[in-house]
Amino acid sequence: MGLVRRDQQPAAEKAAPSAASLVEQLDDPDPDVRREAALGLDGSAEAVPALIPRVAGETDPAVRDAMLTTLAAHDTDEVAEALAVHLASDEASLRTSAAEALATMPGSVPAIIPRLVQDPDHDVRVMTAMVLADLPHPGALTWLADMIRADPHPNVVTAAIDALLPSITPEHTELLRDAVHRFPDDPFLRFTVEAAVG
Amino acid sequence: MTSSTKTAGAALTVSDFEKFRDYFYKRTGIQFTESKRYFVDKRIETCIRQAGYSGFASWFAALRLNDRSGLLQELINQLTVNETYFLREDYQFESLIRTVLPDVLAARGGVGRLNGPVKILSLPCSTGEEPYSIALRLLEEWDQIDHVDVEIHGADIDSDVLARAELASYNERSVHRVPPAWRKKYFTPVGVRYQLDEGIRDAVTLHQINVCDTVAMRGFRDFDVIFCRNVLIYFDELSSRRAAENLYGALRPGGYLFLGHSESMSRISPIFTPARLPEGIVYQRPIGGSR
Amino acid sequence: MTEKRPKVLVVDDAATVRLYHTTLLTGAGFEVSEAANGLEAVEAALNTAFDLFVIDVNMPKMNGYTCVETLRSATVGTPAPIVMISTEDSRGDADRAYAAGANLYLVKPVDKDRLARVARMLTAGVAA
Ligand SMILES: C[S@@+](CC[C@H](N)C(=O)[O-])C[C@H]1O[C@@H](n2cnc3c(N)ncnc32)[C@H](O)[C@@H]1O
Repeated sequence: MGLVRRDQQPAAEKAAPSAASLVEQLDDPDPDVRREAALGLDGSAEAVPALIPRVAGETDPAVRDAMLTTLAAHDTDEVAEALAVHLASDEASLRTSAAEALATMPGSVPAIIPRLVQDPDHDVRVMTAMVLADLPHPGALTWLADMIRADPHPNVVTAAIDALLPSITPEHTELLRDAVHRFPDDPFLRFTVEAAVG
Repeated sequence: MTSSTKTAGAALTVSDFEKFRDYFYKRTGIQFTESKRYFVDKRIETCIRQAGYSGFASWFAALRLNDRSGLLQELINQLTVNETYFLREDYQFESLIRTVLPDVLAARGGVGRLNGPVKILSLPCSTGEEPYSIALRLLEEWDQIDHVDVEIHGADIDSDVLARAELASYNERSVHRVPPAWRKKYFTPVGVRYQLDEGIRDAVTLHQINVCDTVAMRGFRDFDVIFCRNVLIYFDELSSRRAAENLYGALRPGGYLFLGHSESMSRISPIFTPARLPEGIVYQRPIGGSR
Repeated sequence: MTEKRPKVLVVDDAATVRLYHTTLLTGAGFEVSEAANGLEAVEAALNTAFDLFVIDVNMPKMNGYTCVETLRSATVGTPAPIVMISTEDSRGDADRAYAAGANLYLVKPVDKDRLARVARMLTAGVAA
């Protein structure tokens, strides 16, 4: 009893399972097996087509998070397209997790932004502003400014203002004041702009 | 120094820095912002000089093409922040003894019925102060220590700090919070330094590991408690998520995770359940898979 | 008995929304704290006994519904009233909010008098 030592490497070097067997495990009834499989598929491009369709159907949040972590690291057009679909999901946790994953994909997300900011569903455009808020890409601020200038829905405009907030400069004052004029009946928008431009 | 000066081979241009930053991030998950530029430059210059390269380009090529001579490891050792000391954020060890370990024992069937030792991991352990502090506190203050087997593991990505942990010779700053009685009992003064006794040193098993490396982290399993303090703050979004998921995999269901006092899972990942202890917040891997 | 101001936690990932709600509620006599997502809210609620929560739906890390469920679960177990605020009522969000354990569901943008009024109403037992 007391402090004991165990010197053998904790079984570290047991061979990593093949991508094919991990893909099979994505359908295992045990969520922990699925979660580990999803994580283990990091970096394996051939697993992307298997992961993508399973994201929406996965019921265990920890497993879904693992899938998204692995998928986001790919940052390819295929992944971006597939995750963007979920921005329209009725399921709050799916649309926010998808937005978070997209925000870490500066390589592929810019290509789909022009389409997303035109989406007929204003909730999708609100989610797009959420993506742009965290996307490490030099174009993000311009897109947000465009949304503030042109989007017809006040909730999208306020979401875009919020996303732009940390980077706001005096040059944006005009843009923000115009937004207030476009939606004179929205008290929150007026408040937001006053808070932002002082 | 202006950005166009290219002094004596080693100085980095902006694009060198960016190339390097991307590469280093891909390999380790550690992201440097522009504000760390000076710090990173200095360390890289040291590495280039010590490895005997004429400049960044040839060194970087060697690093990427075939890293036979351990250039990457050397660089990791130079670029990580290793600061730590004995009994740092001590209130968490208080939680460990008062609340967490009793709960672990109860959840595992009670003293005398455990199927295997209680396992504690300090990751990152840096130069060893953290896992050794745990060992000292358990020996001195946990009334169950004579009835239970406890395994303490320390792990870090930096092989230099692990070597120093193995050596276990500390300066005054490292031990400034260790009570005099414990210093007397467990350390031997050697000049201005303090040598930790072999008994404690041998009680801790050290490993080299990158917490973001899922394959390597598979080797860590069934821990009852993990301390992962003061490292996630250096990671970007995706790396800290991956690290969180790997730590989750290393814990038993119901196992506990301590973060540094300025750190919170709330900006990283929802997969753990936070719990309030008298001394602060701790995270638990949910029992039964999901939250 | 003097001057116990009810404590409210405002939870929203949008800094402007937090500011808006905080300003309104402070004006209405509440002591306001803020959290930027559901998980932060859960951690805050573990540390402090709030008298009221005002929670957004769409948030990163932990969305509003999961947050409300967690606040009501054994993890936190708060009995305090919860107001959920969302952008739209088109997706059956109100039903989900009530099922998760919210006491009231409002649609953005929230009229300022309305928020102050319902907040006072829901915390009527706590203080004047
Ligand atoms: C500031 S020390 C923290 C030591 C101790 N946990 C404490 O809180 O005092 C940070 C340590 O993290 C280690 N580290 C950095 N990146 C790592 C990684 N990807 N995997 C494992 N360890 C890492 C560094 O080598 C360094 O020793």
